[in-house]
Amino acid sequence: MPRGDGKATTPTKTGRGRAAGHAGDTAHKADADANGAPGRFITTRVEIEGREQIRIVERPAFELPPWSTDGPLSVVGQRVPRVDALEKVTGRARYTTDIQRPGTLHVAILRAPIARGRVTRIDLAPALSLPGVRDGVTRADLPTIDIGGVPLLDPTVHYAAQPIAALCADSEELARDALRHVVVEYAAEPHAVTVEDALAPGAPLVRPGGNRSRNSPKLYERGDAAKGLRDADVVVTREYRTPVALHSALEPHGAVAEWAGDQLTVWESTQGIFNTREDLANAFGLPMTQVRVIKDYMGGGFGAKNGASTNAYLAAALARRTGRPVSCINERDAEQMDSGNRPATVQRVSLGARRDGTLTAIVLEAQIPLGIGGWQGGPAKIYHELYSCPNVHTSETYAYINASAMASFRAPGHAEGAFGLERAMDTLAAALGMDPLALRVANYATTNVEKLRPYTSKRLDECYRMGAERFGWTRGAAPALHSSIRRGRGMASLTWGAGGGPPAYALVRLNPDASADVLTGSQDLGTGTRTVLAQVAAEALGARLADVRVILGDTERTPYTGNSWGSMTVASVAPAVRMAAVDARRELFAAAAAMLSVDASQLDARDSVIRARGDGASITFADVGAKLGDVMIIGRGSRGPNPDDAHIAAFGAQFAEVEVDVETGIVRVLRIVSVHDSGRILNPTLAESQVEGGIIQGIGYALFEERVLDRTLGIPLNPTLHDYKIPTMCDIPLLDVLFVEHSDDQANHVGAKGLAEPPIIPTAPAIANAVADALGVEVNEIPLTPWRVRAAIGA
Amino acid sequence: MRLYVNGVTHDVAAPPHATLLTVLRDALHLTGTKLVCDRGECGACTVLLDEVPVYACLTLAVACQEARVTTIEGIAGDDLHPLQRAFIAHDAAQCGYCTPGQILAGIALLSRTPRPSDHDIAVAMSGNLCRCGTYPRIAAAIRTASETMRARAEGSDAAR
Repeated sequence: MPRGDGKATTPTKTGRGRAAGHAGDTAHKADADANGAPGRFITTRVEIEGREQIRIVERPAFELPPWSTDGPLSVVGQRVPRVDALEKVTGRARYTTDIQRPGTLHVAILRAPIARGRVTRIDLAPALSLPGVRDGVTRADLPTIDIGGVPLLDPTVHYAAQPIAALCADSEELARDALRHVVVEYAAEPHAVTVEDALAPGAPLVRPGGNRSRNSPKLYERGDAAKGLRDADVVVTREYRTPVALHSALEPHGAVAEWAGDQLTVWESTQGIFNTREDLANAFGLPMTQVRVIKDYMGGGFGAKNGASTNAYLAAALARRTGRPVSCINERDAEQMDSGNRPATVQRVSLGARRDGTLTAIVLEAQIPLGIGGWQGGPAKIYHELYSCPNVHTSETYAYINASAMASFRAPGHAEGAFGLERAMDTLAAALGMDPLALRVANYATTNVEKLRPYTSKRLDECYRMGAERFGWTRGAAPALHSSIRRGRGMASLTWGAGGGPPAYALVRLNPDASADVLTGSQDLGTGTRTVLAQVAAEALGARLADVRVILGDTERTPYTGNSWGSMTVASVAPAVRMAAVDARRELFAAAAAMLSVDASQLDARDSVIRARGDGASITFADVGAKLGDVMIIGRGSRGPNPDDAHIAAFGAQFAEVEVDVETGIVRVLRIVSVHDSGRILNPTLAESQVEGGIIQGIGYALFEERVLDRTLGIPLNPTLHDYKIPTMCDIPLLDVLFVEHSDDQANHVGAKGLAEPPIIPTAPAIANAVADALGVEVNEIPLTPWRVRAAIGA
Repeated sequence: MRLYVNGVTHDVAAPPHATLLTVLRDALHLTGTKLVCDRGECGACTVLLDEVPVYACLTLAVACQEARVTTIEGIAGDDLHPLQRAFIAHDAAQCGYCTPGQILAGIALLSRTPRPSDHDIAVAMSGNLCRCGTYPRIAAAIRTASETMRARAEGSDAAR
């Protein structure tokens, strides 16, 4: 069964196998719907994590003009505090890990200590005989559930930390202790945990179909890259390497499951409640009506939580068997070893250019070890679309290795690709004797050169200009104060498909007391979705923000909205919420018009007061509600199609200044200026928080973060937060975040594009370019640990 | 064992090896204190013993019987603590999972160093991880709370 981000399927044609199925089913319905409104169901393009899908969408019941035609907005665009901040600062916010159902059993998972082989003997009986241990399962006890290409609890071992069996007991401690009493024996077989080992002749067979993914190498060709290199005045060729990075969300993957008869309720820390519901319904053979998935507060996802997790399946299975609520929460080492990762890359890059800097060729040969499974979100795409070069050739070879499967991780592919491409651009600039920013401007792509479509908007040029000015790009680095310190400056660019799209639905219910419930099946991962959707609804209703409550994250209470991934949420859901609010307001105005004896077209609303233009008659929402009594006004909204003839993307540029101590090899980032074109900014404070967070994760990627697997043993060596280093407060530079704000009216009627993933894309190359500038030597592998820096300077 | 948590005495049946974190979350249902690493690496389970911040995952509950234990649930009285207010004002919580630990570590810093420098803040808070990257905002919130608390202290001095 397809896992959330298409791990188990090949998502190259139309994205997730599941999405393709949806599209097919609905298309069939559309064809059959000869008596319905002609053309009600149409197709539209939606880009998810760099993969373009064709989706079916129904045209919205009515069209909304772009918000920018409404004049100045009063709630949207304001720096209002998060609507759920109080719950977070008082500890009242309840996360999946905080769900405590009476009589809950707790799961511990037995994980393989070897990278490849088989279980030759397993006996749970000694563990099950312990007091407080209630049940246990192995592969034979479960339906076939595919997790990243591996059946759940497979007795064939494909990677270290693979789940082999699960026990549940009255407490987590009892369950964990009981694991030691499981009798299990393994026969180890040779493994391959590096791309070199997996692709070597005679390598152990990692997957039955071979160690290369079926369509490797994945090729892209534009123009004639070989000729482009021949025609170049200058060619640079380099090899870049990026590490495996771990999401390390502080709330681990986890789920609590409870059955009431045949009705399953699962609380899961997920970015996609409806994907999770579908996964669970398929696994347990249930209609979707019998599965409810709830996600209220969530302690981060960053791309790794896109469908039902191992935890959810095990919790649901064990809950059904025991008749008790079951909680299955990853321990930290499990979370670091087996919950997804950003795969490593090796990128061999050649750039050719004329003396004036015009690119004549971009060539990439990349190898990407996915782990035991995963989708092919490689580094090549940004090479296709960031610069206007007529001749581009990219080749990506995806290898399977005996390691846990990859998962989407904030700007998957682009963060890796940007490191190679933007480092190579700096190397080319040095070879040409050009300013790195001038080289980028010289190759500016005004249209999407991969898809051959214009952009709905692209203000990267303005990002460059504002960023360079704020940073003082032309001034050069300030001198360092100590003789062993070198200072340097670097910059890098970003693009990211961030248009969002259908399907997304919202309902707005007006209560008699003038409060309003906004219902939409989205998720707030900590990004601020609840807050910005409340702002959108308040603005479109003309209501006070305090009167609006947003209900998300519950498949039983809300209409469908897709996963919170791909920087899609605002651009997908905000238009649906705005439409639902406008729909509700029309009804409200119809009622108020009769009460005020004016024409509804003369009414306007603000701060929950309806006023008539002209004579100034007014009535509050509450008075209308009181007169209507229990009449409930319900507005319905849906996300319409994306434009056919244009591509939607976010853009940005970052400028970094660093200090490098040549004696210790320690890099310190002093400041980063980050400028973004993400269209309309719904809440500047929350947008700045998003950008800062992306940059800080980018600093970790640039300087510290690297999963280490022992090549001989095939096991992870640093599955803790002490040994896998994420940034701390001591590592944070001055951050300066700017927006080139405008309303992208062609993208959607709210005018917003995505913002969550873009800021991590240019951070590592901007920092590495600054380190190279400081040292006068190239640095072509991240993270830039002290030993790599020392090696780069030949120390 | 008898624990004094957030001003309330609790008699808890827990084994001698139970951590304070387990007892707070599982026996007292004070789930604001979070379990992330379970080995003193992340600070998400930070609580106060008297006024000293400790990692509840590395602290035996039985050893806390003589102390006042304060968790995030016990910080606000009728009013929010100035640091809680400052967290809201500076948008210092994204997902919010590390926030209780951050706030308790921040309060502990402010009680021992009422006027912390930026360096003091960075060093004192570097044991509290945040994956969303709210660090600059947490630092700003601590600076703001420091000012508010000093102004309040001076105000109450003046009133006397």
